[in-house]
Amino acid sequence: MKRRTPMVIAATAAIALTLTACGGSDGDTAGSTSGGDGKVTLSLAGWSLASTPEFKTIADAFTAQNPNVTVELKEYDATNYDTQMTADLAAGTAPDIFVQKNLKMFYTYQSGQQLLDVSDVTNALDAATGGKDAYTVDGKSYAVPYRQDSWVLYYNKDLFNKAGVALPDGSWTWDDYANAAKAVTTGLKGAGSKALGTYQHSWQSTVQGFALAQTAGADLASGDFSYLKPYYERVLDLQDAGAQVPLGTVTTNSLTYQAQFGTQQAAMLPMGSWYIATLLQQQANGEAEDFEWGIAPAPQLDASTAGTSATPVTFADPTGLGINPGIDKGKVDAAKKFLAFAAGEGGAQALAKIGITPALLSDAVTDTYFGLEGIPTDDLSKFAWQTHDTRPENPVLPTTAILQNILNDFHTAVLSGSVSVDDGLAEAAARAKSEASF
Amino acid sequence: MSTLVVDDDRRAGEPPAPLRRRRSLSLTLRSTLVGWSFILPNFIGFAVLTLVPVVILFYMSMTSWNVFGAANWVGLDNFERLLQDRSFHKALTNTLYYAVVHIPLTLGASLGLALLLNRKLKGVAFFRTVAFFPYITSVVAIAVVWNMLLSPDTGPVNQILGWFGIDGPGWTTSSTWAMPAIILVSVWREMGYYMLLFLAGLQTVPTQLYEAARLDGASAWQRFTNVTLPCLRPTTFFVTVMLTIASFKVLDLVLVMTNGGPGQSTLVLSQYIFNKGFVENQFGYASSVAVVLFLICIAVTIFQFLVNKRRES
Repeated sequence: MKRRTPMVIAATAAIALTLTACGGSDGDTAGSTSGGDGKVTLSLAGWSLASTPEFKTIADAFTAQNPNVTVELKEYDATNYDTQMTADLAAGTAPDIFVQKNLKMFYTYQSGQQLLDVSDVTNALDAATGGKDAYTVDGKSYAVPYRQDSWVLYYNKDLFNKAGVALPDGSWTWDDYANAAKAVTTGLKGAGSKALGTYQHSWQSTVQGFALAQTAGADLASGDFSYLKPYYERVLDLQDAGAQVPLGTVTTNSLTYQAQFGTQQAAMLPMGSWYIATLLQQQANGEAEDFEWGIAPAPQLDASTAGTSATPVTFADPTGLGINPGIDKGKVDAAKKFLAFAAGEGGAQALAKIGITPALLSDAVTDTYFGLEGIPTDDLSKFAWQTHDTRPENPVLPTTAILQNILNDFHTAVLSGSVSVDDGLAEAAARAKSEASF
Repeated sequence: MSTLVVDDDRRAGEPPAPLRRRRSLSLTLRSTLVGWSFILPNFIGFAVLTLVPVVILFYMSMTSWNVFGAANWVGLDNFERLLQDRSFHKALTNTLYYAVVHIPLTLGASLGLALLLNRKLKGVAFFRTVAFFPYITSVVAIAVVWNMLLSPDTGPVNQILGWFGIDGPGWTTSSTWAMPAIILVSVWREMGYYMLLFLAGLQTVPTQLYEAARLDGASAWQRFTNVTLPCLRPTTFFVTVMLTIASFKVLDLVLVMTNGGPGQSTLVLSQYIFNKGFVENQFGYASSVAVVLFLICIAVTIFQFLVNKRRES
């Protein structure tokens, strides 16, 4: 009896410790190092693998060219990708190569020394590769872009024709766009349709991304956000005129842009080029209705950058690949080779085949892309997809995340009609001063 | 080990009297150890998953840390910054607003429901279950459905108000009405759970007391205030403490219903902590906000215990 007590304690402690230890590391399955036979296994991060084929596509295309390198995918949650990646990097269990989903977190990774210097890979890339300068800090590059989407204007040709309004011709400014949205709404109402002229999703980027990219001298870090004013006044005017669904209805009814444009509730939609693949897929499987559509360049602030003889200015963050500094030294060369492949012609071709907009838009890649079934093949769509000056949505700054949060509050406050544009701007500037100046 | 020593001692020792004392000592020790061994599994879990992180949190709140690399000691700088931080003040005010309105409303609604469903009605079990349903439903589903119900132009709530000639507000799309909308939904969601606690409490009220009160000619209201409420005091106290802590820590419903908006009109402390930490990577600063929230909860709870003790005596 007497001897049993310590044993009971020891046993309970052992059980408890084993139980709590279960939460330890089980993510390091992809840590196999290069063997003596020259075979290398790289691990690559990705999200929602079942519905996001791009990671497997690049990995397979790379392995086809480099049979001695196997690329294993490690799945993350799409919404919490950066949170989970941060935790894995801090714990030392992150994969060898990980994706920079947008530029918001790049500063944190780079300044936290979680990215290997890959300047040699970036320097060898084709000069036409979009977004490759976004990852440069103090002359050194820390990631390479493999995707570079850009925001364009989707339009429904059938609804435009029904409303009797001329189709976009690539020369539009935002005022032209607003007038067209109103004209289409009126025209459709006359034709007995309830569809509206345009649909703008609830994201702050639908307004702020364009404003920041297109306004000369606009600087997120300056804390002066007055460049947003004309853009917001235009949107408020469209909401009041009933040419687009107000933000409150978008959020309370959980509207999706895919359903709004895909089921012909709206004749226009400013959206990123990633939606092309979704729309093609949804039209093929019946989720979206069957109608004629096309893409036009994003409307411009003024006529100087509008028209097919100019280069329209738009925005979007590149999607990049970086190397985890914790990678086994023997695998660095293979990882760099993978990065060069993904950002180069090989990766671009593989991505274009599945409807994804790669960072490198050569003519051959464009031909592949516009060979997809169901894609609009008019010249304006091709022009809009291939020709643009795409600026980053999130400039790489220590304060980007904070400023974007402030501007998101501004966005919901103004578009819900809670404050006027001027009051909202003053509030945002005051907050930027107190929250982002440390 | 100590038990072994006692064994040897007993063999060597001659008088029997100290033996009994030693035995009882070892018995105390043994029962203490047995007691510990019962607590230990839970305590280790608590220590590893809660206590240690909380202690680390206090340390973190005095540092500036962005996840990667070392945390720099900054002393009380974070707390000084909190004093100047208008967004923090906004979050604090919003949280207090939520708590001050939400706690009495939920308390009243759940007590009312409990009294209503404590009678011998036909199908009372069904109604009790129905009242409990919202609590076990996913908060995301609740938020989506209520957002649609409260939609300013197309929602049924405003349509019904319209029948009575009332021009309904914008609810979650208006900075004035977003918080009342959230409070409304959270009262609806949580009253079933607290109703269950009150129902349990009501079973402990002795029926003789009601009979005696009735014989003395007490009205229904008098019976309620002089018999039911005093007998329910332990339950009410427990419910109030739980409700208070839950109100100060509210996050999920706000996050899915309005995400803190429009503007900052429904930003609450928990969400502010999340934003500063996981969105902006200022984990040190977020920790200091968490410490403030922790201190508020502790202070309010201690206050409630003191008040309860005074009433008891």
